[in-house]
Amino acid sequence: MLDLALSSMLSPVYLLAQEPAAEEVVKEAFKFSSLANQVLNGFGIVGILLLTALGLAITFGVMRIINLAHGEFIMLGAYITFWMQDTFNMDLLMTIPFAFVGTAIVGAIVELTIIRRLYGRPLETLLATWGLSIVLQGVIKLIFTAQLKYVKAPSYLSGGIDLLKDEAGSPLVSISYYRTFIIVVALALLAITMFLFYGTSWGRQIRAVTQNRSMAQCLGVNTKLVDMGTFAYGCGLAGIAGAVISALKTVAPPMGQDYLVDSWMVVVTGGVDKLIGILAGAFLIGESNAVLAFFLNDPTARVLVLGAVIVLIRYRPEGLFTVQKRT
Amino acid sequence: MRLKGLIVCVVKENKIKMSKSPIISSGFSRRKFLQYSSLAAGTSILAACTGGGSGGGDSADLGENPIKVGVLYSTTGTIAIVEKSLQDATFLAIDQINNGTGPWEANGAGISGRKIQSVVVNPNSDWDLYNQMAKRLIDEDQVVCVLGCYTSASRKSVLPVFEEKDSILYYPVYYEGNECSSNVFYTGAAPNQQITDSIPYSFENFGPKGFFIGSDYIYPKESNRIAIAELEKAGGQAVGDEYAALGTTEFITIINKIKAASPDFVLSNLVGDSIPAFYRQFKDAGLNAEDLPIMAYPTTEEEIQAMGPEYSAGHYTSFNYFQSVETPENEAFVSQFKEMFGDDRVTNGVMEAAYIQTFFMAQAMKDILEAGDEITTETLREATRGQEFNAPQGRVKVDPDNYHAYLYSRIGKWKEDGQAEIVFATDAAVKPIPWSQALYKGRMCVHPVPDDRSDPTKETGKELVPEFL
Repeated sequence: MLDLALSSMLSPVYLLAQEPAAEEVVKEAFKFSSLANQVLNGFGIVGILLLTALGLAITFGVMRIINLAHGEFIMLGAYITFWMQDTFNMDLLMTIPFAFVGTAIVGAIVELTIIRRLYGRPLETLLATWGLSIVLQGVIKLIFTAQLKYVKAPSYLSGGIDLLKDEAGSPLVSISYYRTFIIVVALALLAITMFLFYGTSWGRQIRAVTQNRSMAQCLGVNTKLVDMGTFAYGCGLAGIAGAVISALKTVAPPMGQDYLVDSWMVVVTGGVDKLIGILAGAFLIGESNAVLAFFLNDPTARVLVLGAVIVLIRYRPEGLFTVQKRT
Repeated sequence: MRLKGLIVCVVKENKIKMSKSPIISSGFSRRKFLQYSSLAAGTSILAACTGGGSGGGDSADLGENPIKVGVLYSTTGTIAIVEKSLQDATFLAIDQINNGTGPWEANGAGISGRKIQSVVVNPNSDWDLYNQMAKRLIDEDQVVCVLGCYTSASRKSVLPVFEEKDSILYYPVYYEGNECSSNVFYTGAAPNQQITDSIPYSFENFGPKGFFIGSDYIYPKESNRIAIAELEKAGGQAVGDEYAALGTTEFITIINKIKAASPDFVLSNLVGDSIPAFYRQFKDAGLNAEDLPIMAYPTTEEEIQAMGPEYSAGHYTSFNYFQSVETPENEAFVSQFKEMFGDDRVTNGVMEAAYIQTFFMAQAMKDILEAGDEITTETLREATRGQEFNAPQGRVKVDPDNYHAYLYSRIGKWKEDGQAEIVFATDAAVKPIPWSQALYKGRMCVHPVPDDRSDPTKETGKELVPEFL
């Protein structure tokens, strides 16, 4: 592993040193328009990170449930979309509400049967949700088999926006409609969630319960209902993420694992107290990944970003955006 | 048998959890820690051992003295998507041999009356578990040989086991070459049956500049190294060489680098669930197959079906077999496979290799039993050398010298319906050469008769020319 990381880290240097032809290529790749294109497309990565991390920001950030089954809720959303397209021939956008409701119901059942019994015991929750993720993967595999599944992207979202073209008319800086669509969905969901949390009485109840459960109970808040509703909402958001990315990525039972790590990095980097933190976390991780990967390569960029997150958490364990609290 | 398998898992998983747990277990008692780790071990067993040890679907009466054969494919984890289909193809072949149907019709049910008992294990896409499961199959289940493995990483993991214990592995996958073991029969493509034809084809039809991509592990890196050497030999040039972590589904950076380098074609050695994501994002980023075709090795009918044929139309794959190959054997294979596993399934080249190697094995066993011998590693090895079979792809043969298979070399252009139009094919099966002649000029592999397991490599100093069956 170390050997692998080292050799891939050295490969650009190796290319520069060994092959004159490759040197030319590297120089060409540094052209400004290519970099601008990469930065713009980095926002596409940011959008996906934001979308997939939003559900976790609720279940972990707000409720403090160490939810290792988050990736599997994303997968459930993707499979609901696949199933509805397959049986009812529905447009992808039409399936989004069903993905939300479907995963939210599963989330509510999980809260009612497992999570509820484990509040205040983070380690047990960790093990329980990890077990749950294995069970969910197994169940989906039994129903839909291990084969990769095909989800059709809406035809009106194919093509892209060209911001800059060369003389021949081929785009130099462009981003596809679908990635733009993902960014818009992610920002809209973030705005809706923030409104729900900071602008409605339901949101006030949630914050009251997470800050002081027994006091909220004394004041007549139905904490059990609030807990279930919040967890279900977080899972529903993960379901939407799964539905939206299913047409750009791959739908398969283990797909959630990939997003789980990224989502955790985003939530932890951004800070768990404020929802706006995940916007900053997603932006930092997405763009630094995109830019580093452009100059080096993908695996190296991931190693560097992960290392940077570890250093950041060492010095700011509460993440970038924190609220001063009395303990 | 199942219990033994569980114990292997318990021991392994417990070891891992024991070492991991203290990191997260600040300030809770030793007793609780033990409870947690046994719980953790319990869930892992569920994941790793489901389906382990059972005979694959054929619980029918196996008669007296069945022949025990190990089947080593992952049905859980990241590689399960591919390996499950290899397992399916293997089960189809075993079913046909046991019941005397399909290509085995002339031989009657079983191998000289004895049936095959498959001992199925699931290594959960974990390279270390392949090693342990191989040991278990050989030592505890006493199988005569093993059919299995997909990735080169898993093959490298089990290779020392088969060599040390002197048992036989039938390996059905196109691979990077540079190997010639007395304990492995390689029935997938060697480099010269896939790379050596596809690179000159790309050079002539698309242009001299190639961009090479792949998943970040041994097969794609070695395969691309050989392909780059072939391209340079043909007079072309590699304008990029990029790798993505296994299982990655975000390719916008690599696609932007491809755009910046403006190559004439892209050579893809991405594997598994990365493939559909890459083709989709490739088209989504405004690149199309007419201006910039992708030539790929691991992209087969299965992945095309998952990405949607509209994303693959116009791109190319180089393989020995396509579902659209027109032979009576293939027609029968496709319909028998669909009959057993469902109409919506497709067949592909790796599955075909998994299918034909089971028949190579069965034919060799039949020869041994008819000669009145016992099936042992020595007799099976000698009997498998030179076996011929009318495969779905055409007539193929196990090379008696280097234990690889004579296979057809084909290039398919994907159509709108998800099937390939074959644009290049050799007239007969090509003799396998395990070492790329662009990198290791003149190196060949000849096992002595009978095989005494001495070093089989020979340096001729002269470039080996293609030979046909």
